[in-house]
Amino acid sequence: MTRLLLLASLTTASIDAAAQQAAMVRGTVRDSATRQPLGDAQVTAASGGRTALTDAGGRYALAGLAAGTVVVRVHRFGYAAAADTLTLAPGDSRVVDFALRANALHVAPVVVTAGKRSQLLDEVVTSVALVSDTEIGRRAVSTVDEAVDKAPGVQLLNGQINIRGSTGYVQGLGARVLLLVDGVPANEGDRGGINWDLLPVDQIEHVEIVKGAGSALYGSAALGGVVNLITREPQAGWHARLRATGGTLANPPHAVWQFRDFAGAREGLDATASYGTDAIRAGVTAGGGHSDGYRQQDRSDHWEVLGTGAWLPSDATQLQVMGSWASNQYQAPLLWCEGGACDDRGQTYQPFMIDRQQAGAFTRSDKGLFAATLEHVASPALSWRARGSWLRTAFTDRRWPMGDFGVANAYGVEARGVVRPAEGGGRVVTVGGEGTVANVTSDIFRDHSQDAFAAYGESEERLGTARATVGARVDYLAVDGGGLSAVVSPRAGVVVPYGPAVWRASAGRGFRAPSLAERFVQTSLGGVTVVPNPGLRPETAWSFELGTAAQMRGTLRTDAALFWTEASDLIEPSVVVKDSAGIQVAQIQFQNLQRARLGGLDLALYASPFTPHLSTSLAYTLLSTRELPHDTIPSRPLAFRPTHLLTLGADYAWQGFVVGADLRVMSRFVRVELSPPTDPQVAPKVLDLRAGYERAGLAARLLVTNALNYLYNLAPQTLAPVRAISVTLTWTY
Amino acid sequence: MRRRALAALVVLVCDFACNGGLEPVPVCPPGLVGVCGTLTFQGAVPDSTQAVYVVAYHTFPHSPDSLLKFRPSLAQLQKLPLDRDSALYAIPVETGRYEWVVAVWVKQGFTLANADSTLREAGYYRDPADASQPGVVNVPAQGVAARIDFVIDFGQMHPPCRYYTPPCP
Repeated sequence: MTRLLLLASLTTASIDAAAQQAAMVRGTVRDSATRQPLGDAQVTAASGGRTALTDAGGRYALAGLAAGTVVVRVHRFGYAAAADTLTLAPGDSRVVDFALRANALHVAPVVVTAGKRSQLLDEVVTSVALVSDTEIGRRAVSTVDEAVDKAPGVQLLNGQINIRGSTGYVQGLGARVLLLVDGVPANEGDRGGINWDLLPVDQIEHVEIVKGAGSALYGSAALGGVVNLITREPQAGWHARLRATGGTLANPPHAVWQFRDFAGAREGLDATASYGTDAIRAGVTAGGGHSDGYRQQDRSDHWEVLGTGAWLPSDATQLQVMGSWASNQYQAPLLWCEGGACDDRGQTYQPFMIDRQQAGAFTRSDKGLFAATLEHVASPALSWRARGSWLRTAFTDRRWPMGDFGVANAYGVEARGVVRPAEGGGRVVTVGGEGTVANVTSDIFRDHSQDAFAAYGESEERLGTARATVGARVDYLAVDGGGLSAVVSPRAGVVVPYGPAVWRASAGRGFRAPSLAERFVQTSLGGVTVVPNPGLRPETAWSFELGTAAQMRGTLRTDAALFWTEASDLIEPSVVVKDSAGIQVAQIQFQNLQRARLGGLDLALYASPFTPHLSTSLAYTLLSTRELPHDTIPSRPLAFRPTHLLTLGADYAWQGFVVGADLRVMSRFVRVELSPPTDPQVAPKVLDLRAGYERAGLAARLLVTNALNYLYNLAPQTLAPVRAISVTLTWTY
Repeated sequence: MRRRALAALVVLVCDFACNGGLEPVPVCPPGLVGVCGTLTFQGAVPDSTQAVYVVAYHTFPHSPDSLLKFRPSLAQLQKLPLDRDSALYAIPVETGRYEWVVAVWVKQGFTLANADSTLREAGYYRDPADASQPGVVNVPAQGVAARIDFVIDFGQMHPPCRYYTPPCP
């Protein structure tokens, strides 16, 4: 006992002595260019592992440092790391200021989608992929879906977007990804699908892709993720922009597949004009395009108009309005010809030709989105936003033996507030309410409506250097004015900076209400009757993610995430055999599968090796899916999901010139559905090449997509795009 | 380092350039004189399966003796792949008229003596105008009879004697 007391007194004495001899370092961290203080910078002393986070004024303090040589390092996303070596005497109190240089490779972007408010990318609890206007311009793409197709973890399957394998391929129905246009939901009211041609691609300022379940803030459809198209805002003064595109489409590489005696072409023109003052701004874009298509009966014409306006009566208030209308008239190539159903020239299938019975098929598709948003910053602690929107889609199909038509509307309103209870404090609370009324009139979906009303809230709290987020949303759904059913979608996450990396972990529940089309479709598909299933339940999923993003040596940036999704009641088309007057008849019906599991790795690397002129990227997704056994169905992979998805990119820029390439490699689908047994399955490998020159408002870009003319199919009996060579000229005033 | 990276890039591009994605798939192998088409498989393949062949008969076999008068010859018979939902097939037979193009399932332990218990008709080409009847196939001079497609249903197989005159009970 005496020995213990002696030991305790000695220990206390040594701690006191150490405290008296400890040194302290404090100071301010600023942006080297703007001299603005930088909050949230991580300051670390190598000795003793002391760490501090700068406050909103950029101030930090590291206390309790041992005397001697100490290396103090500062990290902040978007800036090159800085360090200083100090020699501290016992009891020293030193002031050491740092000026961080913004890093050209990765300036921490601000995102608005993940939390329904502005956040730095490295403060978001889920994975977010960004496609900037620079990338869109450099790739010289013609459509919005082409712009998002190469994002890490994203794959487009005949226009249907898959984020980490969420959607698969369901003939355009039931997207498990929510499309937003400037934060306004824009999935179709009847089919729940996405119209990528709703906006002119040239008017997309950037795209934010939030991966994983986002229903805690966005409700239905955000089961697999959210894509937010952020449009360009009109600027003060007069501005104009002209974009002209022309190009050719490759002919089939084998004589036995030739289907026309001329080279297909495509061309387009978009013009934008805008004017703005400090108080009011407006812009309008109009354009159109034509394509001969790359297959038989594949011509299309496209027309579009986009108008945007903003009224800023004060610094704190802003009213934004936008209206977009697009019309597509296109021949419908539908499925390729199986042997015997066309001039097959002795082939088992003719990928460039269509079935004789589909000759003359034609579709007209019109879509319009109108939205108004009022934002007001009442005080540093409170801001709110209210919006109303109307999305209208209409289609008319003319095909053998009869045509289909449908007109759908989706009306939406939302009000939300963002509260920061203490100025400069660590808590941010977002609350809101949302309502959606959707209806359809169609010969194949009949007359139906679906309403949804929701309330949500999410709170972010700073805990030391970490940020924790907790929130939930409750949605009430009603079909055809019937009883309400409720779906609750919680989410929790945390972001922890550690050294040069930021670690994030999240768990959230997503759901998707069945679309009106899935519930009520009644048609025929390839001779098989599709029957309705009004009793469909919402599909739900728990998504888990553990991710990290890091900036290393100033030239390498990484983002990696392990993801896991446990899905229930997924809605998929199923072949059911029904007994009709003693005859077994196969029918297709949308049904709730019992459970499915998706997991994998999402990895993105961005580097500028060898020279600052060269920027390279690598995106890889490893995906494992499993439909869990139910009824007589054994455990099996989900259809239309690849195990491996790899995209490599490189660009070399020098004095206005830029050359680059993208390579997309995908393993063949483990399982396909609704495809004829003779459908070939190959692993897509697509190489895109590009070159461009930009000077004083003029830009010329050459783009060769699928440069090796690698022929493949993703959707059953549907040839993916062949090689296309196009030149795009852009003039900006 | 740079040279290795460049070499890796060249190898990658070459791999792409040499790998051709979708290719034309002729219904019948070039130069074939005979019958070809697509088989669609239904039902579970029995564990006792030795092989399945497609053969053709000039005259419908109504007796055990005529059962062995099929084309092509035994040496030219090719086992069908049974690990898929469908398969292309091609049998080299001489020019002429064939009354029955049929898939024959062979059980393990087959001998000529026990043919009735170890052979089964597993499916045959049917008359497009009357699916209950076998379809007649004409192989043109130095040509092929293409798209002789039919279904092999392992759940609906019949012994050869079913087609004899008189049929077995």
